[in-house]
Amino acid sequence: MLKLFLWLKYVRKRRIILLSVVAVALSVALLIAVASLFTGFIAAFERSAAETVGDILLRAPEGIRFEKYPALLERLEESDLVEAATASLSAEGLVHLGGGNVRPVVIWGIEPGRRSRAMEFKETLISQRHAAQEPSFAVPGAPGETGGFVGIGVLAKPDEQTDQYDQDAIRRERINQQARLITGTMELKPTGERGPRRRTITFRIVDIVFAGVYLFDSSFVYIPIEVLQRELYPQEKDPVATHINVKLKPGVAAEAAVEPLRGIWQAFATRELNWSSMAIDLTAIRTAREMQRIYVGEFEKQKRILEITFSAVSVSVVVLVFCIFHMMVRLKQKDMAILKSCGAASSSVVGLFLGFGVSVGVAGSGLGTALGYLITRHINQVEEGIRLLFGLKLWRSSVYMFDRIPNEVDWSSALLYAALALTAAAVGALLPAVAAARTRPVEVLRHE
Amino acid sequence: MYKLTLIARYLVKRRITHFAMAAVTLCVFAVMVVMTVMTGLVGDFKKRNHAFFGDCIIGTESLVGFPYYEEFMARAEGTGLVEGISPVVKSYAILNADTGYEDNVELLGLDPVRHSRATSFGRTLYFHPDRVEKAFEPMYDPNAPGCVLGIDRILQRDARGRYVHYDRPFQIGLALTCFPLTAKGALAEAATTLVRTKRFLYSDNSHSGIARVDTDYVYISLDEAQGLCMAGEEKRVTALHVKFRPGVGLEEGCRRMADLWRQFRSDKATAPHGVLLDTVSVQSWRTYRRATVAPMEQEQLLLSLMFVLVGVTTVFVVFVVFYMIVNSKRKDIGVLKSVGASNTSVLALFQGFAFGIGAIGAGAGVLFAWLFLSRINAIEEWLYRNFNFQIWDRSIYVIGDIPSRVEFPVLAVIVSCAILACLFGALVPSYLAVRLRPVETLHAGRP
Repeated sequence: MLKLFLWLKYVRKRRIILLSVVAVALSVALLIAVASLFTGFIAAFERSAAETVGDILLRAPEGIRFEKYPALLERLEESDLVEAATASLSAEGLVHLGGGNVRPVVIWGIEPGRRSRAMEFKETLISQRHAAQEPSFAVPGAPGETGGFVGIGVLAKPDEQTDQYDQDAIRRERINQQARLITGTMELKPTGERGPRRRTITFRIVDIVFAGVYLFDSSFVYIPIEVLQRELYPQEKDPVATHINVKLKPGVAAEAAVEPLRGIWQAFATRELNWSSMAIDLTAIRTAREMQRIYVGEFEKQKRILEITFSAVSVSVVVLVFCIFHMMVRLKQKDMAILKSCGAASSSVVGLFLGFGVSVGVAGSGLGTALGYLITRHINQVEEGIRLLFGLKLWRSSVYMFDRIPNEVDWSSALLYAALALTAAAVGALLPAVAAARTRPVEVLRHE
Repeated sequence: MYKLTLIARYLVKRRITHFAMAAVTLCVFAVMVVMTVMTGLVGDFKKRNHAFFGDCIIGTESLVGFPYYEEFMARAEGTGLVEGISPVVKSYAILNADTGYEDNVELLGLDPVRHSRATSFGRTLYFHPDRVEKAFEPMYDPNAPGCVLGIDRILQRDARGRYVHYDRPFQIGLALTCFPLTAKGALAEAATTLVRTKRFLYSDNSHSGIARVDTDYVYISLDEAQGLCMAGEEKRVTALHVKFRPGVGLEEGCRRMADLWRQFRSDKATAPHGVLLDTVSVQSWRTYRRATVAPMEQEQLLLSLMFVLVGVTTVFVVFVVFYMIVNSKRKDIGVLKSVGASNTSVLALFQGFAFGIGAIGAGAGVLFAWLFLSRINAIEEWLYRNFNFQIWDRSIYVIGDIPSRVEFPVLAVIVSCAILACLFGALVPSYLAVRLRPVETLHAGRP
């Protein structure tokens, strides 16, 4: 009770103590915001991969394709692990959108209905996202024509100031527009040489894809898988695909599902496709997370380096707490002497100042955590405010991949930094507390 | 003189001031290391962009391009401003290697000799840096059309970011396919096919040090590019890269080029397809590459702001230390004032003391940072050898050595900020010292 009374008195009388609370809070808030932004970015990076390729991706070896893929999808979906699976065929190409507008694109032949069941695909379609039925390539009023979906960044640039797309205008101008793709494969010519075999595909834009991930939005064009197959591999009798995307049932860990899926694939490839064991082994079966591992590892390393740098600079918080407590101990020598002359043990005096230091740490880290939370959660508003005030656009999807800054608080880091701040405050208060405990009442009170 | 004596005495006797100096040292050390590395990376990136794209770019974003460029080049060269001017065709193509590899590429058609006069292109070549005219001549078949590949398309970096080169280019054929566009932007449908494909042999690689350029670009001769990407009788290009003569300032040169272009455009307003000249803009390399360079500069700015935020703690430390010193030196101040020292002198004493702390702390921070930076690459090499740790994985990032050259302007800003922070931190305590009244401080019985 006496300690609490003295703490309150010191806070009231010595406002300088609030400086240490502010310093602790600033450091904690900064570290939480940095850690949360990095962690959020890494999580968004991993999530975008899972949303685009599914939980697990089977990729055919170079130059080989999955034949009879509908049967393979069926086998996979019969498994207890798989919720949905879909196939896709990919090729590089150029798209001509009229008026000298030619763009390099990645062409995906897909099954839109199945893809929406296996991935978050329907939600990315500007026109069909709210439709009750599954998305489709059907061209309204022209049943024979080929329809296609085009990434929003292929069709238009975001506003220079806001980095936002004018979705309504793009939809008005582009839906139902005709576009042309060129793509092709290498083929063996009668002369024995290999040469490119070019194909032109004309299609109508029936929907626009806005995934919020720059890479996908700026370079992907989707057309029906059977149309792409017809142009690329006209000799193939059975349906073929280059990728199989798998969505796992809720609760199934992707890493644990890889081996069972490999077993299903091996059995199918051996019995149905007569593939050699080498081709079967060369088929890549990887989780979305595994595919991004090298980049995620690098991002995490950069995060750690930045955290260490800021933590090192934050050591000055310890110095600050030390200085403030040192001053207080010097100014409050008489209090200590009176306490000790009334029988207080040295450990009680140490406890008084150490407890006060911890209280400063608790207050500072609590305030810092709240501040870090507010900054992180409202980081997009903060960024927009900076843009409006200073005309400085800090976050662009073309640079940082995503159209919005990830704003999830990394609570594990937040707790760690709060605890470290508390420890720092206690360490800063320790030496002055020991010095206070060594006060000799006879010397201090001699002149009174 | 007495001020200096007192400052020296306080610095030596009051050990608490050493903590303020330590805080300043720590802050200056961290800021200087991070800012030197960051400034080095940004500066290097800007230098590479400037060298690779030239001083000024007169171009259009439309792949249709613009005609009459030879006439404009003659006019530009006549101004005496230009050291080199190079026409280029920029477009996109599908690349198919003999090996079966397929990818989208950015195609740049250029005259290697002209382009090397306007940009650093010649210096980026591995096999023909001194004979740029042979850049598109494959060594193993000089009569076949050759192409230069961005280095990351053909070679891989090792863990230390070094490329493994060979004595001769690999013997690889690469087919490039494009949409040829008419002057109206339409596809050249009158021809037998909508697309044009031509096979080239790999003749050299280009290492510009700009990641996207070295990954995406394929270079062919200007004539070949015009044949592949442009349809119609009038020859067109998509850009002119200009290098100004020494002594011509960037802004001044770009302004005069813009004036020249305006005049040229108005002269050609009624010429066939003269409307294509309206889409052309004249930009300095800085404006042309702002989408790439600006984010790096912004990151540098953000990092600086974060350090300012952390540096606030140092201001607090200085404040507390000075507050303590003023409190414990009330009698000194009283004596000084009683013997005639003015308020200004007392203020100067404490501000001088703060300056001393800032200067010594910053000096020590600079020294430690310089020692660290001069060994930073050796430290990273040691970490990599012993712990397989690199600050930047060179197989992912296009970074060579970590920049360690301390730039004087950066150093001056950091040291000045540190000293100003100390002066600011000591301001309120100095003011409190000024306000002390000798009669109260020297009163008998006062501590």
